[in-house]
Amino acid sequence: MPVDRRLLINIDWVLVGACLILSAIGVATILSATHAGRGVGLELKQVYWILLGILALVVSVTLDYRRLTDRALILYVFIVVALVYVLLLGPRIQGTRRWILMGPIQFQPSEFAKLVAALLLAKVFAESKRDTLGVREILGPGMTIAVLVLLIAAEPDLGTAFCLLPPFLAVAFLGGLRPKAIAAIAGVLIVFGGLGWQFALKDYQKNRIYTFLDPSLDPKGAGYQKIQSQIAVGSGGLSGKGYKNGSQSQLGYLPARHTDFIFSVLAEEMGFLGVTAVLGLYLLVLWRSLETARVARDRVGAFLAAGITSGLAFQVVYNVAMVAGMVPVKGLPLPFMSYGGSSVIYSFLAVGLILNVRMRRFAN
Amino acid sequence: MRIYEDLRGLHGRLAVIHWVMVGLMALLTVNFWQLQVLRGKYYRNLAENNRIRPVPIPAPRGLLFDRNGRVLVDNRPSFNVVLTTEQTDNLDWSIQRLSQLLQMEAAAIRERLSQKKGPQFRAMVVKADATEQDVATIEARRLEQPEASVDPVPLRAYPLGQGAAHVLGRVGEITERQLASEAYAGIEPGVTVGQAGVEAEHNRLLMGKDGLRRVVVNSRGVEVAEAERQSPVEGPSVSLSLDMKLQQAMEEAMAGRPGSAVALDPNNGEILAMVSLPSYDPNEFAKGIEPAAWSAVSTDPLTPLMNRVIQGQYSPGSSFKVLMSLAALQEGVITPQTKFNCPGYLNIYNTTFRCHKAEGHGSLDLRRAIALSCNVYFYNVGVRLGIERIARYARRTGLGAPTGVDLPAETSGLVPDPEWKRKVYKDKWYPSETVSISIGQGGVLATPLQMARLAAVVANGGRLVRPHLIKAVAGVPVPAPEAVDLGFHPSVVEGVRAGMVAVVAEGTGRRAGLAGIAVGGKTGSAQVVTHARFEADRKAHHVQPHAWFVCFAPAEKPTIAMAVLVEHGTAGGQSAAPVAGQVLSRYFGVPMTVPRIEAPEPPIFLPEPPRAAP
Repeated sequence: MPVDRRLLINIDWVLVGACLILSAIGVATILSATHAGRGVGLELKQVYWILLGILALVVSVTLDYRRLTDRALILYVFIVVALVYVLLLGPRIQGTRRWILMGPIQFQPSEFAKLVAALLLAKVFAESKRDTLGVREILGPGMTIAVLVLLIAAEPDLGTAFCLLPPFLAVAFLGGLRPKAIAAIAGVLIVFGGLGWQFALKDYQKNRIYTFLDPSLDPKGAGYQKIQSQIAVGSGGLSGKGYKNGSQSQLGYLPARHTDFIFSVLAEEMGFLGVTAVLGLYLLVLWRSLETARVARDRVGAFLAAGITSGLAFQVVYNVAMVAGMVPVKGLPLPFMSYGGSSVIYSFLAVGLILNVRMRRFAN
Repeated sequence: MRIYEDLRGLHGRLAVIHWVMVGLMALLTVNFWQLQVLRGKYYRNLAENNRIRPVPIPAPRGLLFDRNGRVLVDNRPSFNVVLTTEQTDNLDWSIQRLSQLLQMEAAAIRERLSQKKGPQFRAMVVKADATEQDVATIEARRLEQPEASVDPVPLRAYPLGQGAAHVLGRVGEITERQLASEAYAGIEPGVTVGQAGVEAEHNRLLMGKDGLRRVVVNSRGVEVAEAERQSPVEGPSVSLSLDMKLQQAMEEAMAGRPGSAVALDPNNGEILAMVSLPSYDPNEFAKGIEPAAWSAVSTDPLTPLMNRVIQGQYSPGSSFKVLMSLAALQEGVITPQTKFNCPGYLNIYNTTFRCHKAEGHGSLDLRRAIALSCNVYFYNVGVRLGIERIARYARRTGLGAPTGVDLPAETSGLVPDPEWKRKVYKDKWYPSETVSISIGQGGVLATPLQMARLAAVVANGGRLVRPHLIKAVAGVPVPAPEAVDLGFHPSVVEGVRAGMVAVVAEGTGRRAGLAGIAVGGKTGSAQVVTHARFEADRKAHHVQPHAWFVCFAPAEKPTIAMAVLVEHGTAGGQSAAPVAGQVLSRYFGVPMTVPRIEAPEPPIFLPEPPRAAP
């Protein structure tokens, strides 16, 4: 193995530890959420996914991140092909085409698109040697990301598609984006947002947004998830109702309680104290990850770490805000904790790449 | 040699991202603080409401027994098929399916659902008193159709069927009007309450106290556990003064003819039997009457829902002569020996008032006058008494006002007098009207219960009892309401009693005679149409007068007083007296003497009194 023993010393064990603790909390919460009903045994499957994730992490650590960023364009082509394949030939599951089936394993290429985008962005922006960036300079990378966003949004998987924007913005910002350009990007996003609302959003997506603004419009449908999740979270109180004791979770009022709404189960059963502890762990993970960008030996590494971190951060913040009813419901899993192979493996791969950057900060 | 890029410019911008991240996390934390700690209680309530649902357990209503401990009203277990509309996504489909499973019209189910009151999640009864097969069918499909379920409920059962229906009453879902009324305050919509008779009058007592189950339900509304249970408290059993055997004897004696009869203990006012016909079957109401059956029974021209004993207001006809005799003797207008001559009519106030016996009764005293129901005698008595005194005595003996019996919706009857006429007709009283009143016509109205009570006054020596039904509650005797001594001189009551005994012994009421037991009675016929209309169609049933008979027995020491009214029975002695006789014969266990009536009392028709002075 081309891993230098010296590199291991520079592994951020705190970061790894925090991720493992989060994963463990996730497994426990999945057990609580599913033990009473359908999906018994999912916590065990999640453990397998985590082991697989750790394996992916180890693999991703072994390859020098610069070798990966150098091949970012090839990976990009691969992922575009995969996304197109999913769109055209992928199985239709619950009205969406998100999965590739490989024997017993199914995975979502969109999860990996997030990492490929971060690699590509890091490479492209690092190669630009300018101190400041204008609109013209970010147009190229912007378009390449836009392709991924549109392909994923077409599945449709708006949540994941949105996850590509923070890395782009963060990396462009780090690359020296001028205030004027920031304003321009904001303008473009607003215009596209408007057009997308008009032409691209499916009715169920619009309804979700309408009912976010007024949940009573549809208390049994789209508004239901928000209302029930808020009730679960709020009723948890300071110290929670106790493990496996959340009435909202245990009696099935919470939808998607072992996947996208896992945090809601945690909030109900562990209360505000549990919430702060877990949010603290996430902040630790994100902080240490971003710290890696600061100590990276080169721009590629710094951009890669920052891009991946901002993607993870967006996902954590959005998911938790969604559980609290602060933002519209989107199908966005909580990294490390939500049940699901693709999400777990993505989470560990992402941290793997960050470790990768950090442990090679002194290496040549 | 290592080449380190100059990344210092980067650090400032990284710090921005760092703090944006920390800021967002802080924002989330603040939001969770607000949601969980500040508003935690509010959401805990919501979660509880999600989770816990109150399900009332109806308390079995108290049972009703007759005076000898025989069951009059019972409860039996039954099953309702209920639909919780909240639990179905497709109500039409659910209804369609239920209509197939239960073999009911979908429209009928819809109609029942449209009457739904109360909280959304409360189950609505689709089919009450479902058959065993229905129950099995629904239970077997619990999984595929969770919104339909089977609810065990105690169902009111009336083993006598139509018997004593008006006394016992019926139960049904509380009505809008009842919900708004004071007497039903605190009762939830959808609850079964008494709707008539004792069931309604003593509803609160009989209801007991409903229990409550607080059940944990899952997100589909399916019960998963019971959090709390307060057992229902059954209503106390109530003993009525009714004698079931006598009640049945009375029903048999009435033989289904429209009319009513009531018997009471003259000494304390306990009602022993009460029949009103036509009747209805309260069992049909207990499980929620079908709309079609309801409209049939409520619009029937023979008004089966009406309790004629307390709600039927009839001219008392000649049975009013009992009151006339009491008043005249007490006032000293006549003595029992006072004689008047009856030539078959009386010319007074420019009008000819006829007796029912055209050739006249000749000279006769009070005893004979009562026995033969001589009109002319009482015309003379009435003229001497005057309307004011007649009205006063009528009211004193309980006419013109509800008797206060413990049954709902009792009517008061009517005792006309000059003041009443002034108020209602804005006209003065004519002396000729007093003549009509003297024989119980001309506007006097009385219920059979009032007349039975009048008979009881004679029977018990001049006391006015309050008729009542409740004898004991949960085994504890309920004292009878105080009787009012009317202050009649014993000789007064004795004089009337002698006349009434003569009615049965030798007069118009001989068909009520018993072997070996003296019965006191008085017949009466109440005209229902004008003389002209009667003459136009003498044979038609609906123009025949109502037949009255009031009585008591044994004459020396009465234990029973009774009033019988047979609608369109033509003459009291002919159709009402035999009913009374049959009841008494069963009550005392002695045969009837059943004499042939030689001269049935013909209907009495009076000329219209002059309405206005010329």
